[in-house]
Amino acid sequence: MSESYPRSDSDVSTSGDEAEWLDTNNSDDEQEEAPAITSLVDNRVFPDAESMLAYCKTERGLDFLAVRDRLGLDFHGMVKLINFIRKSVHEGTALPAEISAADLEGDGLLKPVLDDDALILCLDDLPPPASTAVAGKEKAAAPASAAEAPQVDALLQKNAELQAEIEQLAKQFTSYRLAVQETLDQRWKADEEPDDVPSKNEPKKDDSAYYFESYAHNDIHEVMLKDAVRTDAYRDFIYGNKHLFAGKVVLDIGCGTGILSMFCAKAGAKTVIAVDKSDIIDKARENIFANGLSDTITCLKGRIEEVVLPVAKVDMIVSEWMGYALLYEAMLPSVLYARDRYLAPDGLLVPSHCNLWVAPVADAEYVADHIAFWRDVYGFDMQPMQRDIYADSRVQTMNPAALCGTPSAFRSLDLHTVAVGELVFSAKWESTLAADVSGALDGFLVWWDCFFAQSRDEPGITPSITAQEWSASGGRDAKEEDRVAFTTGPFGTETHWKQILFLIDNKKKAPKQLGEAEAGKKISGELEYITAEGHARGLKIKITWGLEEEGEKKDQVWALN
Amino acid sequence: MAAVEPMDIEVAEQRLKAMEHSEQHYFNSYNHHGIHEEMLKDEVRTRSYMNAIVQNKHLFKDKVVLDVGCGTAILSMFAVKAGAKHVIGVDMSTIIFKAREIVKVNGMEDKITLIQGKMEEIEIPFPKVDIIISEWMGYFLLYESMLDTVLYARDKFLAKDGLIFPDKATIFVAGIEDGDYKDEKIGFWDNVYGFNYSPLKETALSEPLVDTVEVKAVVTDPTAVLTLDLYTCTTADLAFSCPFDLIARRDDFIHALVAWFDIEFTACHKPVRFSTGPHTKYTHWKQTVFYLKDVLTVQQGEKVECSLHNRPNEKNKRDLDIKVQYRLDTQDPTRTAEGQCLYKMC
Repeated sequence: MSESYPRSDSDVSTSGDEAEWLDTNNSDDEQEEAPAITSLVDNRVFPDAESMLAYCKTERGLDFLAVRDRLGLDFHGMVKLINFIRKSVHEGTALPAEISAADLEGDGLLKPVLDDDALILCLDDLPPPASTAVAGKEKAAAPASAAEAPQVDALLQKNAELQAEIEQLAKQFTSYRLAVQETLDQRWKADEEPDDVPSKNEPKKDDSAYYFESYAHNDIHEVMLKDAVRTDAYRDFIYGNKHLFAGKVVLDIGCGTGILSMFCAKAGAKTVIAVDKSDIIDKARENIFANGLSDTITCLKGRIEEVVLPVAKVDMIVSEWMGYALLYEAMLPSVLYARDRYLAPDGLLVPSHCNLWVAPVADAEYVADHIAFWRDVYGFDMQPMQRDIYADSRVQTMNPAALCGTPSAFRSLDLHTVAVGELVFSAKWESTLAADVSGALDGFLVWWDCFFAQSRDEPGITPSITAQEWSASGGRDAKEEDRVAFTTGPFGTETHWKQILFLIDNKKKAPKQLGEAEAGKKISGELEYITAEGHARGLKIKITWGLEEEGEKKDQVWALN
Repeated sequence: MAAVEPMDIEVAEQRLKAMEHSEQHYFNSYNHHGIHEEMLKDEVRTRSYMNAIVQNKHLFKDKVVLDVGCGTAILSMFAVKAGAKHVIGVDMSTIIFKAREIVKVNGMEDKITLIQGKMEEIEIPFPKVDIIISEWMGYFLLYESMLDTVLYARDKFLAKDGLIFPDKATIFVAGIEDGDYKDEKIGFWDNVYGFNYSPLKETALSEPLVDTVEVKAVVTDPTAVLTLDLYTCTTADLAFSCPFDLIARRDDFIHALVAWFDIEFTACHKPVRFSTGPHTKYTHWKQTVFYLKDVLTVQQGEKVECSLHNRPNEKNKRDLDIKVQYRLDTQDPTRTAEGQCLYKMC
């Protein structure tokens, strides 16, 4: 609570500053001129109305003068307003959020709540309303005496400041109205589009609808924003490379709450175009407005393939498109579409490269917890539940100790050049089994690292480099933000992408028992990304594996869903 | 292993696809084994059902039992263990095809008939059943709950004097001190990497939070706001308004209300009950937290007058629209507070 005002009697009796208090409030001369004014909201006492009203405004959010001006109250109106507030406080009822003229109806409120209410006695001394043309206020317009001149100057200056502020607000309001109008237009337009009208008779044909709906909720955005590995990387790259963004036109695909667009705007981008099909973009627009960046960032609702951009080319594409196992629920084809259509020839993609990793897993405890569990559920055998386990991959953060061999980089994507057709692929992998390997080979773990290059021909992002190695390879003079990259793997901080675990169905294929004989040996095979049939955003992964000396390789297919 | 006819699954999936989108999502979410693993591993839940059924063989012996929303059929199998003559398990989700295999693996296929479909649309092989068992409860008891289906089954299939397991459910509410977490969940939106995200703050406030609350955070006595007797209640009771008072146990702040529910099987020889409240063991239902706009400053013994209004959303009946009103009336006008908050569980 503020200490800048003299306290009421009971408090002050224990205060060491009694002399000063006496001086302000008990000096006979002053008391006649400036009677003690009791606060509207509690029983504090003030030497004059202005300081009391300032207290009410700053400490309690009650702006008496603003209410007066809003309702255009005359002397009697102000008396009623004072008594209305005092009555509410006295009776302990909460004041309405916005006091209305209806609250002040009836002459009952003319009866003072406080006897000899000093505030009412000095109402005429209150500053005049902001609009000076109020009739019958000659008194306020009386010529100022010489002594008052500095005060008048200060008030005039304050007035000018406030008017400037009002103009600014009016301007902002206009642009906000435009933004709202734009949103509504888009909504109405969307409503008119026949394919957006749900039909009960027809089964849904669009796999993506649910994908977009799922992004309309807050919690998923909270999770993503609070994933500091992810959000810090974008921030560090954008803020650390302002020279790349200054004066540029940037496209943000799948903008969500607008965070990346706002980073770019802050970094000096001339124009940012933020595109998202999900309803969250309405919130993005509000966020952008609330941060005063509406002039720089334009939000477009719709698929990137369908919206009409206000520019022919963009200098950069920023997007956080990565999914589980990198490509599940893939937004990457949309980013590549935009790259081919809108990105200037020397334009930059942020991020720019991804490397995919796989490693063999042996984790008996995990298997017991999640697989063997089904064999004895409260005395029942639920073995049939186990079959699904092997058909689906699991989104799971694993301890590095669960890996029983070296990670293998099986695929590298340079986003500047990769084609959509290359996102389904088959790649070789190879791992060296650990020296202390033991137990069954239970499965495989897949994760990816993500790199933010400063130019299209950034050297050093090789297909098998890790995020950590690349960040550290910046040289002695390099600043940390020069080499932004992060990993979603088991050796880094956990991210919301976690890792993807593929469990081997060891009942179908007799488990390979690993022991001393296998330590240090090579295990290898292929890993295939396959588009799931009938589900545009789905993904299947096929892994083949075998020890080098084994002639025949084993294989299994998993779905991500 | 008796494989499921692929045709059956295809037909079921076709039917799911023809449903309203929200319904589809509801049933599909139960197709994944992860959710069943979580529910089965919720010991408070599963063990209570097991005790209520297996310890009451005198009630189940030779009876016809209906398991509403049977999932992996664990409750159906408990009922067989307790001596039931026959159990009919019904579930819309395709998990039921797994359940059929599970029942067979456990040699109970003669005792359990599993039917895939909506309770409202299926026929059962008995005119009436003696006992209905169901684990229908959702977050905040009623969110995404199957209670309406259980009541439908009761009215259509339950014999006169038949039993319902469980048969009593009560929602409790208390005030909690939750400043740190409120700051993390709600205050977070005030400054996101230096940006003002207040437009998302409104939404965050309107979404009740399903999470665990420590018992030491509870500032007031708990109060029951809804008690359902499953023998007599109707779907109309699911829209309810309840005024209630919360009495502060100590001088503290109230940032939020927490809600949980208790479940009872009163027909048991020795009544079985469990609670999902902050004072007891963890369950997968956790508790539900409703953040208030104001922070109430309460002194021991003071009363916060509240009311809670709940009704199923008109568009999607599994979603809930909830209104909380509160009023703290004290001699100290600086602590007086009054307000209302609207929430949507969806």
